[in-house]
Amino acid sequence: MDLLENYKKVWDNQPEETHKLSAVDIYKMAHSKSSSIVKWIFIVGVLELAFWLSINLLVPDSFYKIYSDLNLEKQVSFFMILHYIIIIVFLYFFYASFKKISIIENTKSLIQRILNIRNTVKFYVYYNLAIVFLSSLALNIVLMSDSDKLMKVMNPENLSIDINQLITITIISQIIAIIIFMVLLWFFYKLIYGILLKKLNRNYKELSKLESAT
Amino acid sequence: MQRDLETKFLSDFEQNQNIAHKICRIYTTNQDAHKDLFQEITIQLWKNYSKFRGDSKFSTWMYRVALNTAISLYRKSTRAVKTQDISDVAFKIKASDYDDTEEKQLSALYNAIHQLNDIEKALIFLYLEDKPYKEISETLGISSVNARVKMNRAKEKLKNILNP
Repeated sequence: MDLLENYKKVWDNQPEETHKLSAVDIYKMAHSKSSSIVKWIFIVGVLELAFWLSINLLVPDSFYKIYSDLNLEKQVSFFMILHYIIIIVFLYFFYASFKKISIIENTKSLIQRILNIRNTVKFYVYYNLAIVFLSSLALNIVLMSDSDKLMKVMNPENLSIDINQLITITIISQIIAIIIFMVLLWFFYKLIYGILLKKLNRNYKELSKLESAT
Repeated sequence: MQRDLETKFLSDFEQNQNIAHKICRIYTTNQDAHKDLFQEITIQLWKNYSKFRGDSKFSTWMYRVALNTAISLYRKSTRAVKTQDISDVAFKIKASDYDDTEEKQLSALYNAIHQLNDIEKALIFLYLEDKPYKEISETLGISSVNARVKMNRAKEKLKNILNP
């Protein structure tokens, strides 16, 4: 007889669980709090959405003075409105992708849906990073193209500073700030999502293997 | 209405709880983790019970929800354990009125299954539970051809572990 057939008999004959739960135990368990991966992804996702939203909201008013100094107020408020509309769209997708999760689905689609939520949040973060990058780029271009404006914004006290030196300092300090920010963000992603999604990615890969070949 | 549903759920689950215990034994290697996973399976079953239409058997539905919980929702990694203390594996299998050789074989079987990955565990479990390929491929969401290929590989792997 095949080795596994033999073990299968052993499996069939295995005794029932000795610590059987009563209906009361099951009732209590069914009403306890879940600690599933999906729940954690939801919590981390909400924190991320909140983090970026608070960055938008916490920027001090004085920061916007630079825009009025540059006469860019109209353009800036247009982009702010657009920005918030896009954020609302992201929030909708985030919520909708959660609603779609159903454990009754087959394993592969279930993992796919869970990973989709992660992708929605990822795009949201990419979007915010792009906005930070593009808006500072635009601001720099406006500033650098006009040394009078640059002097006015960067040196309001009117100290005697060499314009070339000022440009260099401005650029270097921005680059350092961006690098620090990126490194922190990278660590955050590697750590949090690495832990949360390792198992799902591994199982998804395992399920998808061969699928294209057959 | 809610009361009725609850009563029905409790009786359905109580009768079939052995399925969940077997899955917990496969995917965890100690008592605490077993309890943890069992709890998560119970929560998921109850949360989705209102969607259970009754057009299939409760046990069939339960296989899917419980396996999905172990594979996709359970937070702790159920990665293959390389070395395993046999006495620990058999932590909850009662020895009385049970043949000694069979007990050892069952321990060896669980021990070997623990060394498989999550998907292989599911395949072998469904094989041991005598599920047809159609159900296996539908549960995992892969084609039946693919299910067969994967099953054969998982069986080979298991045989090699059991009989090196």
